[in-house]
Amino acid sequence: MFYPNALFGNLLIVAFGSAFLTYVLGKISQSLRNGFAIIISLVLVLMVAGLYGLGKEIVYFRFFDYPLLLRINALSWFFAITITVLSTLSIIFSLSYMRDTPQLDFYYLMMLLVNASMLGIVLAGDLISFYVFWEIMSWSIFLLVSYNKGPALAAGLKYIVISLVGSLCMLVGILSLYTHCGTFDISQLAVLIASAPHGYIVFILLMFCIAFGIKNGIMPLHTWVPSAYSESPSPFTAVLSGILAKMGTFGFLMIFYILLGWRVFLYLGQGVLSFHYILCIIAAITIVIPNFIAVLQDDAKKLLAWSSIGQCGYILLGIAFGTSLGLAGGIFHFFNHAIFKALLFLAIGAVEFRTNGVRDLNSLGGLVNKMPVTFMATLVGACGLIGIPLTNGFVSKWLIYKTLILKGSPFLAFAALLGTWGSFLAIYKLLHNVFLGQPSETHKNIKSAPFTMQIAMAILSIATIVFGIFPGLALNIINSIGISLGFESLDVNLWGIASETGTLNTINIFGAIVVFMFIVYIIFRTGAKSVLVPQDDSYAAGSYIPEGKYHYTVDFYNPFLRMVRPWLKDRIDQFYYWISSTSEKLAELVRRIYTGDLGYYVIYIILFLAVLIFTQLIWKPW
Amino acid sequence: MARIHWRYGPPLTQPVIDIIKLFHQKSFSHGVIFELGLILSLAGSVVTLLFIPIGTICPLNVAGGLLVVLYLMLLAPIGIALSGGGGSNPNISIGISRKMLLALSYEVPFLLVVLTVMIHYKTISLVSLVELQRASGWGIISLPLTGIAYFLILPAMLGIRPFDMVEAPQEIASGLKVEYSGKFLVVYYIEHALRRFIVIALFVNLLLGGAGEPFTFLVKMLVVFVICVCINAVFPRFRMEQAIRFNWTWPTMLALAGLVIACIWGGYG
Repeated sequence: MFYPNALFGNLLIVAFGSAFLTYVLGKISQSLRNGFAIIISLVLVLMVAGLYGLGKEIVYFRFFDYPLLLRINALSWFFAITITVLSTLSIIFSLSYMRDTPQLDFYYLMMLLVNASMLGIVLAGDLISFYVFWEIMSWSIFLLVSYNKGPALAAGLKYIVISLVGSLCMLVGILSLYTHCGTFDISQLAVLIASAPHGYIVFILLMFCIAFGIKNGIMPLHTWVPSAYSESPSPFTAVLSGILAKMGTFGFLMIFYILLGWRVFLYLGQGVLSFHYILCIIAAITIVIPNFIAVLQDDAKKLLAWSSIGQCGYILLGIAFGTSLGLAGGIFHFFNHAIFKALLFLAIGAVEFRTNGVRDLNSLGGLVNKMPVTFMATLVGACGLIGIPLTNGFVSKWLIYKTLILKGSPFLAFAALLGTWGSFLAIYKLLHNVFLGQPSETHKNIKSAPFTMQIAMAILSIATIVFGIFPGLALNIINSIGISLGFESLDVNLWGIASETGTLNTINIFGAIVVFMFIVYIIFRTGAKSVLVPQDDSYAAGSYIPEGKYHYTVDFYNPFLRMVRPWLKDRIDQFYYWISSTSEKLAELVRRIYTGDLGYYVIYIILFLAVLIFTQLIWKPW
Repeated sequence: MARIHWRYGPPLTQPVIDIIKLFHQKSFSHGVIFELGLILSLAGSVVTLLFIPIGTICPLNVAGGLLVVLYLMLLAPIGIALSGGGGSNPNISIGISRKMLLALSYEVPFLLVVLTVMIHYKTISLVSLVELQRASGWGIISLPLTGIAYFLILPAMLGIRPFDMVEAPQEIASGLKVEYSGKFLVVYYIEHALRRFIVIALFVNLLLGGAGEPFTFLVKMLVVFVICVCINAVFPRFRMEQAIRFNWTWPTMLALAGLVIACIWGGYG
């Protein structure tokens, strides 16, 4: 076959080239640039789709005689298609969301650049290209997070400082691997690393896990997430939460199962003290605590950000647990989370757009009649997030729970199930406070979301439900990923998974719910007619109802919060701030040494020489 | 219940009469969300029921087992809460808030109980749970702590005293159902009854061995229900914080101990 090879060779050139071309076109005409951005992202979707089932590698560049590789396999194809589809939808959404903001050329350039760099990451065949694309992505994220200036700048700075720590850790890991094995090629490393001592492998894993954990927002490394998510422009937040953060997931998969292979990875250490089990425990903590912190938030996007951290815990839990069911659950949850979290961020973005940037949950309310499409989108996204049957989130969580229970890890399963309740409370608060209850006076004349926003949200909502009813569509591909990573095959069919210890059959559930909704509705209709009364015509059992509008869901979970608030402080963030302020003080102390007076410097040199001579005389180390 | 209070109560057929009467009465609606939420909740409960074996009758036993039941049980509260959000009565809002928190408080021990049973019998299917118990004796005998924990949270799950703060007629005018009239109230009543049926049926299936035929199953359920009614009749009402604290101490500790014992017994590290 000729054309898949040509497609593959030119994919990154098209992706990067078009990003810069978009910037140039923007200088000529606004609509030309918008049209080009959408067309090029659609072209990228088609190009990646054309690569389906391809498994090959090419040398795209020689760097001092060192070949840099691109490689495609089932795993990278799955990530690549998710990336391109989601960024296309996000760019469509941006058309009306970003309409009246300055520096749009720059915005589109960065969006496409992020898209291209992510494609580079998942297709990279050696660690050098991986690192280069990783850095392009990290810096583009920084520029986009701080796009809105003001508080966004601080959020971006926080992100980039933490991200740099991760990048440095990864660099140490890569260089150490090079000195140890003498190559950057991932497939050669996978052969060479198998003979390395366990201590060394754990060191390498630790370095990479810090880097990927930071990007993914795993619990002790999550602190950049809430501020960066809440301050960035909403269409970009959807991409950031949906796929950019999941580059960490891709990294985990690459390092665990491609570089090391499960035979090495799952047998580092003994029982509870093995490396993957400790990762599982970290993932479980990441599920429980952020999901309950999300309940405390009053800012819509912060709430979603915390809940994103929690969902990343599920993904890591599935991946690190290392059974074929768990792996399938983890990868599928990555895919699902990309869909429904992007959907939720876009929906909140639409609300933000129509209310002129209001994100405070306590001043919104009653928007359901004004923005019905947005409400439905949020409802579907919320159901996916909680994992109600018939949405995709249910299937992936079911896979993870099942493997946890059957492999005898009830405490991890308990943490995962409990996290569901945290996300249930949090997301219901979001749904209720934005769309239900009484509308605020200032939002009486709100219009429905613009058409391009509705299209993006509708596509994602439909995807949430379709992958919930026919999970086999994605699970087949995920199953082939699992097989390519050396796991045993699962018995996947279009609507679920069959096995002797419990089957999942979504079509039954779907049929039952639809049939009974219909029956109940018919019976309901045969009852006596009801009269439609205005919302504020309430029955109060003779007691007094306050005049005027008020938002009675403020402090919705108060009795509960009074009990748990002291437990849920973000101590880790405070700890990082403590480190940064202490190091600043230390630096201040160091600075005092440099007085600027030449005489002092001469004294320092003489003192240093004296110390050296003294040491030599006494201990004779040289 | 009236017998325990030493007074005359309405006849046993009264709920049926009420439902038929209410169904033909005029009612008030607050719009689409108000109606659809309620329908969703009733449908959710009916579907949940299909997954629970009553004796040997279990129409949908191959579709995912106990984990599906756990999640389907969420449909009903979501439906009710959405429907309540369609109105603007402060009593509903308080009711929803209390319902969610109460659910959170009893779900902690409940999830532990369910996990213990699944770990002990090494299956996630309700039907095979029942079969295993019929072969090896009731679950409550091999897992006594778990059984006690489930029994302690039963009143909270059923929404009866001392945990009826969600409805609390004297405080918040019956909370959630204050805006419902006519056929809306009918749907709410039926949903509520089904919910109680599901909770008790789960108890019987998980820990009292289920049953071979529906009749024995219903007898077991009736016994549990009568005990619960007695509890309902003699206790006053908790406040919200007291309820959460209660559910998170005794039942949770017992359930946790039960889970640890089941793990050690099952030979897991």
